[in-house]
Amino acid sequence: MNRRVVITGSGFFSPLGNSAREVITAMEENRTAFERPGFDPDLVVAPVADFNLKTHTGRYKNARYLNRGAAFGVAAALRAVKAAGLSEGMLENAGLFVGAGPNLDLGHGVDDGLSALWILNFLPNTAASAIAALAGIHGESTTMSTACATTVQVVGEAFQKVRLGGLDIALAGGGDSRINPGAALAYKMAGALCTEPGDPSRVHRPFDRSRRGFVIGEGGGFVVLEALDHALKRGAPILAEVAGFGASMDGGNMTAPATSGRWMEKAVRKALTQAELLPADIDLVSAHGTGTQLNDGMEATLLARLFPGKSPRIMALKSWIGHLSTACGVVELAIGISLMARKFIPAVRNLEAPCASGLDFVRENRKIAFDTLLLQNFGFGGQNGALVVKKWTE
Amino acid sequence: MDNFKRVRHTLAEILDLDEGEILPESYLVRELDAESIDLLEVALALSTEFGIEVRDDEIFLKNLRILIADAGENGVDPVVAIVENLPHIQEKRAGEMVADLADGPVLQVRDLVAYVGHCCQ
Repeated sequence: MNRRVVITGSGFFSPLGNSAREVITAMEENRTAFERPGFDPDLVVAPVADFNLKTHTGRYKNARYLNRGAAFGVAAALRAVKAAGLSEGMLENAGLFVGAGPNLDLGHGVDDGLSALWILNFLPNTAASAIAALAGIHGESTTMSTACATTVQVVGEAFQKVRLGGLDIALAGGGDSRINPGAALAYKMAGALCTEPGDPSRVHRPFDRSRRGFVIGEGGGFVVLEALDHALKRGAPILAEVAGFGASMDGGNMTAPATSGRWMEKAVRKALTQAELLPADIDLVSAHGTGTQLNDGMEATLLARLFPGKSPRIMALKSWIGHLSTACGVVELAIGISLMARKFIPAVRNLEAPCASGLDFVRENRKIAFDTLLLQNFGFGGQNGALVVKKWTE
Repeated sequence: MDNFKRVRHTLAEILDLDEGEILPESYLVRELDAESIDLLEVALALSTEFGIEVRDDEIFLKNLRILIADAGENGVDPVVAIVENLPHIQEKRAGEMVADLADGPVLQVRDLVAYVGHCCQ
């Protein structure tokens, strides 16, 4: 029998802040962390300010083996565990699902003096190893890497395991940082980055006709997924219910999405079917909304086909926090459930001339309740993932 | 800076400890919780810091128990065997190691200091 699955803990680090209060305050003040990096003034990036892993771990000698993205993931996992009211010994049988991208910070650990095990800075499952040791997790663990769909898929896979009874508790999430010369060069050469001059807070325009690419962000997030009966039994805080998940492959171009959005739609419809919801039941879409011509064009086409007649509200969190690469899904989820709890929907920033009509892109910050959230992310390689989350009610 | 201070600084960095917690008599494994991967880092860091070739088996006394067992089988005084095979260890310290062996790994910070001092001679 399929079990209901709820989110009982969440922790995240984002360029806009590290708590619901910080993020929503910044949104209300129309404030972003977009700036031009010292290593390439053509670009705009969104860094996380004042991050120190050891604030969260205490003394931790293995910190040297965590690249910046992995460190965000580890710190977020510890915060999620704490928020879920889980203490030492309660996670022995928990599952651990981690997302990681390629560490493209190629100079780190080489230019600064090699450590004997510098390879650990580049192995994708080093964050999982650290989290398991710090949180006392001895259940199953998988580290996934599916480009920008990574952490929505990580949460989805963990959700399926709990739903089918394989686990009572699963941690899911990850961290990523591409704010370094190696990663920036890679994306710049791929033509995906916004290189427009001018005010850094104005250059990123998801779904606008004049959109010019994405802004590199960084951060990390984790959620604790738990079987509803298990969560109720221990009196856990319940933040939201995960109702459905779907994934698919384009099976086409390695970087460009299929323009029709046909295969992305397959992932979204799978998630809706599993959630036993119709498109019309969705209140809010958290779009992938990278601000590239290709993604947003495809996504608008997909949304128009999915929601004929009446569009749900559509937000694009990357216009606030930048693109967190593999970590975007879980951080957008963590922020999304915070917005659900606080009845707040942020505007798609800098959207002046929408690239499609008939879609309800949120143009101004709104204090308004929503009960169902569709989160979608699409990655290089043609990786697609979608998650349906509901306000939890008994 | 004397060798002890330089070794202490290296250990503090790698083991994420305050320098004040590290004494010449501190046991690396028993007290400072050094694990095998930490020792890999210590060896590399000391070789860089002092410009020496660090041999893991010698600096970390990896073959000490085998050395002592072989000495016993061959009727050789274990203290003599240690001093002959590990020239950075003085006779008095070798005697302490033999007496201390039953309580766990005997490696102390001062043994690392002796090793780098010997290599730098």
